[in-house]
Amino acid sequence: MSTPSPAPTPPPALAIAGLYQHVAGRCALSDLDLTLPAGEWLLICGPNGAGKSLLSRLVLGLDHPSAGTIALFGQDLARLDGGAMRRLRRRLGAVLQGGSLLADRSVLENLLLPLRETPLRRAELARAARLVVTLLQLDGLEHHLPRALSLGQRRRVELARALIHQPDLLVWDGVADGLDPSALGEILEMLDTVRRNRALTLIATDNSPAALITHCEHALVLDHGRAVYAGPSAALRETAAARIELRAALRGWR
Amino acid sequence: MHHPDRPLTGPAGVLERLGLGAIALADCLWLYLRILGGRARLDLPAFAAALRQSGLSVLPALTLVSVVLGLILGRQGEQLLAGFALPDALLISLTYAIALELLPVLIGILVAGRAGVALAVRQAGLAVSGELDGLLVNGIDPIRYTLAPTLLAMLLMSAAFAVWSLLVTGLTTWAWLWASVALGPARLVETLAHAIGPADLVGALVKPPLFALLVAPLACVNGIAAGRDPRGIARAATATMLGAIGLILVADLLYLLLIG
Repeated sequence: MSTPSPAPTPPPALAIAGLYQHVAGRCALSDLDLTLPAGEWLLICGPNGAGKSLLSRLVLGLDHPSAGTIALFGQDLARLDGGAMRRLRRRLGAVLQGGSLLADRSVLENLLLPLRETPLRRAELARAARLVVTLLQLDGLEHHLPRALSLGQRRRVELARALIHQPDLLVWDGVADGLDPSALGEILEMLDTVRRNRALTLIATDNSPAALITHCEHALVLDHGRAVYAGPSAALRETAAARIELRAALRGWR
Repeated sequence: MHHPDRPLTGPAGVLERLGLGAIALADCLWLYLRILGGRARLDLPAFAAALRQSGLSVLPALTLVSVVLGLILGRQGEQLLAGFALPDALLISLTYAIALELLPVLIGILVAGRAGVALAVRQAGLAVSGELDGLLVNGIDPIRYTLAPTLLAMLLMSAAFAVWSLLVTGLTTWAWLWASVALGPARLVETLAHAIGPADLVGALVKPPLFALLVAPLACVNGIAAGRDPRGIARAATATMLGAIGLILVADLLYLLLIG
């Protein structure tokens, strides 16, 4: 009788190795290595121009790195063709800095965008939309165009769109943009609830770790494209007290 | 997918543009087949918007051009008849042959000028506004969102416009000649039946959709190549208008030489 082989370890949600990115002749990201297990949350913070949004775009496959590899759920992004990339992206949700809602489509049409290629019926689509509309407090805005919404409302719509298809990985660039602290707190609580029900991996960026530090297991602090801290978020405060370059990147956060 | 910050310039850029255009066109045609087979859905709001752009908004200008062309041909015909005493059969044949050759080119340019430029601007605007990223991260092929509905609208409207323009120009020319030299409708039909073969009519009806098939990918590629710079939108529009005129004339010449 043979002994049962141990269950294979699931690949990490995100694995970055030797990542460099050059933009307009300057090194915008250099020598980044990072592994994020599935179901865990990563906070990326640092001052403006540190490379947070650039790293988010690279993780989403919107830009290609100058060197190094990025793998999501064990799939090297550089090796995926267009179809495979689209299939992988159906496991991802994204809220991008600067907005990415379709200007000529209503809130409801924008929300249903990730479900366009799925065989869901009209009633199922309506149910999915209703759920995220309620969760993100967008009632009454379904038929508005994005230009008729405030920045905070647009961010909520983007977040609702990123969650409607129940992604395995959510990339949220610019967490605090357009959201007041209490609204952000409510949304993070809601995401925590989602995470308790199923393994949702989160990569969130912000200038300061203040809003997210208690929610995330991991923290990456960038400054001028370099990682000045990569480790457990619980140790960030203590490490910052001891390292001046980290305190400088965190701009006075204690 | 082309990187929006990398310009498509130089010989490699030209090759990449050609490749992108071919891929975009093939992608669209494959999508149409899947739609016909019930395995994919057409983006109806985008298709309706494209029909408005390449259809309703072009119709008044195209009708005006067709009427003016008909009047010019009628007036010239009247002068030729008076000056050279040509047989009216030969004259009508010549007139209609000019219309058959000229109208498809004018339709192509008008449709390209409206729908093609609108497509290039829309495609370029997607990158500038961040909407392109929104499509990509949601697993939507941007080509299917922009080019597919626009190309289909351009194909349908070009074919419809070809019939409409030939009718308007033909009727206007005849009306002028009837009024000036009393050319009767029976004589007109008999003359045209002798002078214009089915191949001529097919050519006049096929050419505008063929031009649309060339101009739409060109517009799409120009939009993609514009990058994230807002100034790229204007460049894409200009390049599409100029490129479309050149492409249509060259395609018309090739059609004449290869198919007749």
